[in-house]
Amino acid sequence: MHCRSFNWVAVGLGFYLLNTIAPAQDAITEHIPSWLRSGEYLAEDTYVADANVRRGDQVVRDFTESDSILRFVLTPRTRLGVLRLGAEWERFTFDFPNGAQLPDTLQSASLVIGLDTQFSDSILLRLEAQPGFYGTNDLGYNDFNMPFIIGGTYIYNPNVQIVLGVGVDIERKYPVIPGAGIRWKFARYWVLNAVLPTPRLEFEAAKNVTLYLGANIKETGFRVGNHFGDTHGMDDRLNHALLTYSEVRTGLGVVWKISSILTLNAEAGYEPYRTFDFYRVDVRYREDGSAPYGMLSLHGAF
Amino acid sequence: MKIRPSLLLVLLLARSTIAAGDPAAELASFSVFDKIDINELVKSDVETIHGPPMAGRFLSVQSCYVVPGSPEKQMAALKNWDPTKHRELKVFLHFDLPPSPTPENFSKLKNAPDNGSVRAFVSATQKLSNELQISKEEAKKFSTSQNGDGIAAVAAPWAQVLSARAKSFVSGGTAALAPYDHSGEAIRANEELQSLLKQQDKIRKQFSGLLSESGIGRSAGSLKPELYWELLDVDDHGVVTLGASYNRAGGNYQAADVLYYASGGYYVALTLYQMWPVTADGKAFTLVWRGDMISAASLEDLHGVERLGSESVMMKDISKAVTLFRRDTGGR
Repeated sequence: MHCRSFNWVAVGLGFYLLNTIAPAQDAITEHIPSWLRSGEYLAEDTYVADANVRRGDQVVRDFTESDSILRFVLTPRTRLGVLRLGAEWERFTFDFPNGAQLPDTLQSASLVIGLDTQFSDSILLRLEAQPGFYGTNDLGYNDFNMPFIIGGTYIYNPNVQIVLGVGVDIERKYPVIPGAGIRWKFARYWVLNAVLPTPRLEFEAAKNVTLYLGANIKETGFRVGNHFGDTHGMDDRLNHALLTYSEVRTGLGVVWKISSILTLNAEAGYEPYRTFDFYRVDVRYREDGSAPYGMLSLHGAF
Repeated sequence: MKIRPSLLLVLLLARSTIAAGDPAAELASFSVFDKIDINELVKSDVETIHGPPMAGRFLSVQSCYVVPGSPEKQMAALKNWDPTKHRELKVFLHFDLPPSPTPENFSKLKNAPDNGSVRAFVSATQKLSNELQISKEEAKKFSTSQNGDGIAAVAAPWAQVLSARAKSFVSGGTAALAPYDHSGEAIRANEELQSLLKQQDKIRKQFSGLLSESGIGRSAGSLKPELYWELLDVDDHGVVTLGASYNRAGGNYQAADVLYYASGGYYVALTLYQMWPVTADGKAFTLVWRGDMISAASLEDLHGVERLGSESVMMKDISKAVTLFRRDTGGR
């Protein structure tokens, strides 16, 4: 009567956590409605220094960037699967010199509405939309957009999972971006987590510490203000224009699981690629050289 | 709407009559299989789906399948099946134990294969790693009695620990087992099993008779367990584990298989079986329901899609194990 194996206890798509404060957590959650008891959060800030971008002969030099993200998503379990209901705010700020043709703030405030579900014992499916406002300093109804993703994970075995997906944003330069990736635990302490937008090679240095070499790829569409062009380079083509902002960060990081619901992530590296692309009017600024960055985030799930 | 007591009684009686006479209805009354078609199941593979969502460090999966022959034959096949024949199940050693185990009953541990999992097990033992699930008293045995290299260096103290735990289980059920407190928080197998069953109330009620006569989640019961031990792989780490099986036939075919001790990887695991004799196309078959429940530290903090992922892998593993079992025993 022993037909079992125990691969599942180690899975969870590679997440190991400690349980040091579980009793306290249980005491708190007893008084909370069940649909509020499961969720995830993220607070992250990235600072990029000494960056330059170029458009032909025009160069914008020595600006810095701060990218802040706050996200809170409830993940109640239903018969359909795990719902994802929450909100996210992201703000890029740049200290461009006066007269630059670029916005000094890009920000989004959106809802997160999604579902993770089991299609079979081998396939997990995620549908997630982020309806909200994607603009500059003052968000308004003109800035509304609703990017969404559809992705699937094929669980080949506990050590290998294949991910396929597509991201859709009708206001981005490339509205549909397909993606594929693999998560492969190829040795006891090593995982190749080559899944966009944050592909990584991970090394489990200790039970609660993971080191990684990785990248973070971002591409989001924003709409600038009705008079943006009038005040930035006197180019009225840029009034109410769509801007696709892209950047790629590559660096080394450490993930320290402080407790069951709190993880600290620190990362540093270089940003080799960045574009500000007013693609409909062919005004495009590209990274000139690379820029160093540092990132800190606190995140967790409960 | 008010229902008069007499009408309520009639409704309850009607429901229990349906349940007693109809395996599919009884299955639906306590499992996640709301509606099954025996004739379809005869032709199909095992059907495996996740159980009711469980909080904390627990996970459950339920399976349902039909095999030729009688429930008695299935009970015997479960008892005699040898998982070590299938490398993919990663059970390296499996041995039955007598009712009064001694350290000699674990002597085959020193013949364990020399692979990465077993080396990790030896290394964790020699370092007295925090991941080892032993008591403080047991830890003292390891610190004083390790001679030789490889698995041979740790086989003797493990034989002492395992035989002592098996004896404790025989005499007092899981309630008599020492906690895992070598590295801090005390984890008790008895409480883990009680918590597992508390979150599966319908299953607990369905199996209350069998469980109350066993040593699962309580002190020793009137049923005599069939004992065994195994060396298996959990996430590339070797784990020694102690198990016990109980079964009850005669109209209500139920069985329980508990892994009440593990040196790492998981705290406890419980598998329950219920079987019904059924007929399809004029032939005798057995409808089998299997419920797997596990408690493991690494599951504690899985949420959202991570938990779905773990459930999916657990479902795949159980499907694989059941498929191999059916193939070996002529069930498919």
